[in-house]
Amino acid sequence: MAESLGVEYLLALSAIGIYFHAIFVSITLGFPLAIMALLFAYSRTGASEYMRAARILTYVLAVNFALGAITGTLVEFGLVQVWPGTIAAIASFFFAPLALELIAFANEIAFLILFIVTLGRVRPMISILILGVYWVFAVYSGLLITTVNSWMNVPWGVATIPGALYPFLPEYGPLAVDAQKLVALKILLLASGLPLQEIIQTPEASNVVGIILNDPYIAFYSLYAWVSVAHNIVAALIVGLSIALLGFSYRLYKSKDVKYAQIIRVFYPILLILILIQPTIIGHYMGVNVAYYNPVKFAMMEGAYTTYHNPIIGFLAYGDPNHPIIGFDRFYASCREQTITLGELANSLGLTRENLLEISNNLGIKLDTQRLDNVLSTKVSDVCIGDLKSVEPKIRAVNIAYYTKIFGGVIAFISAILLAGVMYRIPLVSSISRRLVNIIGRGDYAKSIFILTILIALGVALAAVLGWYVREVGRKPWTIYGLIYPSEVVTVVDYARTLEFTIFASAIIIAINVAGIYAMYIVASRHAVFTQLLERFLSGRR
Amino acid sequence: MSSGEVVVTPAQLLGFTVLGLAVLIHIIFVSITLGVGLITAVYRWLAYKRSDGELELFARKAFRLMIVTELFSGVWGTIITVVLVGFFPGLVALATNVLFTPITIAIVSIMIRIPSIAIFWYTWGKISERAHSTIGFIMALSGFGVPLGFRTLFSELSYPHTISVFLAGNTPPLWYAYTSPLYWSLYAHTVFAVISTGGFVIASIMVLENNVRWVEIGLKYGILFLLAQLIAGPLYYLTIYSRSTYIFNNITFGPYAPLFALKLILVLLLLILSLYSWFSVRRRKTIIGYTKYLGPIALLIVFLGEFINNAPRYPYIAVLGESGVPISAFFNFYMDIPASLVYVILGFLIFSIIVFTFAAYLALIRGFIVEKIES
Repeated sequence: MAESLGVEYLLALSAIGIYFHAIFVSITLGFPLAIMALLFAYSRTGASEYMRAARILTYVLAVNFALGAITGTLVEFGLVQVWPGTIAAIASFFFAPLALELIAFANEIAFLILFIVTLGRVRPMISILILGVYWVFAVYSGLLITTVNSWMNVPWGVATIPGALYPFLPEYGPLAVDAQKLVALKILLLASGLPLQEIIQTPEASNVVGIILNDPYIAFYSLYAWVSVAHNIVAALIVGLSIALLGFSYRLYKSKDVKYAQIIRVFYPILLILILIQPTIIGHYMGVNVAYYNPVKFAMMEGAYTTYHNPIIGFLAYGDPNHPIIGFDRFYASCREQTITLGELANSLGLTRENLLEISNNLGIKLDTQRLDNVLSTKVSDVCIGDLKSVEPKIRAVNIAYYTKIFGGVIAFISAILLAGVMYRIPLVSSISRRLVNIIGRGDYAKSIFILTILIALGVALAAVLGWYVREVGRKPWTIYGLIYPSEVVTVVDYARTLEFTIFASAIIIAINVAGIYAMYIVASRHAVFTQLLERFLSGRR
Repeated sequence: MSSGEVVVTPAQLLGFTVLGLAVLIHIIFVSITLGVGLITAVYRWLAYKRSDGELELFARKAFRLMIVTELFSGVWGTIITVVLVGFFPGLVALATNVLFTPITIAIVSIMIRIPSIAIFWYTWGKISERAHSTIGFIMALSGFGVPLGFRTLFSELSYPHTISVFLAGNTPPLWYAYTSPLYWSLYAHTVFAVISTGGFVIASIMVLENNVRWVEIGLKYGILFLLAQLIAGPLYYLTIYSRSTYIFNNITFGPYAPLFALKLILVLLLLILSLYSWFSVRRRKTIIGYTKYLGPIALLIVFLGEFINNAPRYPYIAVLGESGVPISAFFNFYMDIPASLVYVILGFLIFSIIVFTFAAYLALIRGFIVEKIES
């Protein structure tokens, strides 16, 4: 494995950036649904409070979009700046999704500007149409970015290459890559101890390596990617709508003004439906795909140090209650069955020691032949076992995070149904809800709604935050599942891998985002005062 | 290697062209927003200090330009990044190493700049005037941090001061890019250009408001920094002459000489027209009709200037004295880039430009974004 100094710091830095981005993306995706529902209600009833609520959400959406754009830029630049090894993936596997994302991003902004400029100036249905187009592009953007992330979790198109090193991993689609070149690069990384950036930054490196990917659209063919898209986008919609719900229920609680309850009633059905389908349908398929394509992650989620039986999980994950939850003991046993060396593995693909030295020479890499020989004589089983051992300490954390996420989801699920029972007349549900509400809110309608929305928001936040943690930490020890370690894609710039740089960058990210969130709160909560100066000038002009 | 021996494939030409197009569109937008942002921040603060409502109204009217254009301008920055990484991965891998510090400065500036624009607009009237003015200055100054970082890349491509240290097998110091003899003259040229352009664009927009005082403010900044360009421009030209012979020859005697001459003529025209307009608003308190064209002329100069700053590198991606590093050296050979995909994307980007232009027309010409704060 390449020198890993500072990698953990940068992983933490990336996590901060991604989590902030996730908040803003959720609002970007969720708020438009609430705004469209409010504009629709306004067009039907003509009640001004719906238009006013739509305007407030629009202003927050505008500030939020700017924050989403810059955190997106940060995540994107972060990818190439502190993880420049990913540039090779961006130039191949990610090229089509990221290039298509430009369509989404540019049109998203164009239509958002058009919506903001024309809101209140055109008929509400036209505003809904414009915002609807914006929302489609926003969802399309989310689809493409999730496709990229999904490829890192399930590298579709590399077929059995990861399985050659880790026999417990499944086949990842058809072979769409030049296996010989990928394996050669991997061995050179192991033998040189250099990050990938050292190789790809050299002029003519790309020319020397040549074609590694035959199908530029391969990232789109993975079932795992499509399930992830549904899972992530619905999660983002739920978070965004929950934030809007929390805001209006807080207003209701503070003012006791029933107009806020009417506003909630307009968009709450959308949130309710999403909360009901996310765990029961989409989450289920996500789990099934993780169990199959990311077996190590699944074992971590289930805390399976050793293989065990659980008929419920067996049925849900594998469709068979008798199927065991495969644990690390089986993975180790599977590793030990591998008797070949890395050199023999390379030979089976037609790569000799001389080939590797020649490639290294052409790429300008100074390779210590002794170190290359050591790598070539390393047993595949040693690599496999070493990687499993490196993630074993994380099993407990991932397991706890996963079940806390499930707990959060359950809280949100139940609270959402109870809130529906309070807001609408639903046989049986409403009577149970109202009895519970009498206990929770002591008969205070507004307080009960506020408490239930807090529970929804907390449950949803727990599920979203920990869900992403499980997805990303569970991907370790790899950045690209079964293929590439974080230390192989990290920057070669020494000071970027220091704690000081991480603290500096984190402080800036946190300061900007906290200020931005506070500004969103001010925009949402304060009435604008037409400044006295301006008022005086305009009066004078009139 | 002489440029005659350099082979450029159609895919490489497509990459170079798309990159150039994205850079030009981005530069046009940021030329508007950097200058307008600064002038707006200054006058929002002056309004507060002098208790001058008219200046505040001016600032708010001028800032509509920012609200409409900044995000769309930012999109083109992202497009540049994706095009660079997609078509020239080796160049980005190298830049993120040897230019790590400048790129970090640019990223931090972007992170401050974009939210502060939205915050500045949407908190207007909702927070104290002092706090609002402070946000304005943060917004304005952070904008200049972006070229402070990214212009090092342009400078390196014309004169590889830092890259040459790397190619010689050494690790350049963190701040080495800022010791480039080309960089500071390019940065000064850029800063003066954007403030001048911002001033002229404001003057053009304020003609629609028929307010002499507001037009005068725009003209003041436009002319002042255009005069500063009379020093910065020749200085940059001289550094190009001494450090980047290939580009100098191309723009002085080569195929780009007519465009360079056209740019100089337009600068002269802009100077004469704007001075005449200035005297008119100062002495006669009347706005001459052509004043509204000063902004478009300034933008055309920016377009030409950026074009002849970058295109003459062809067929090289980076210039080394009288020759350079061919485009192929950093081009993406990891896969065959589907040309059809690139054309589809360009089609949709043009569509987004049309939608944006329509929104900008409604906001700025038809007055759909009002200066009055809506509660």
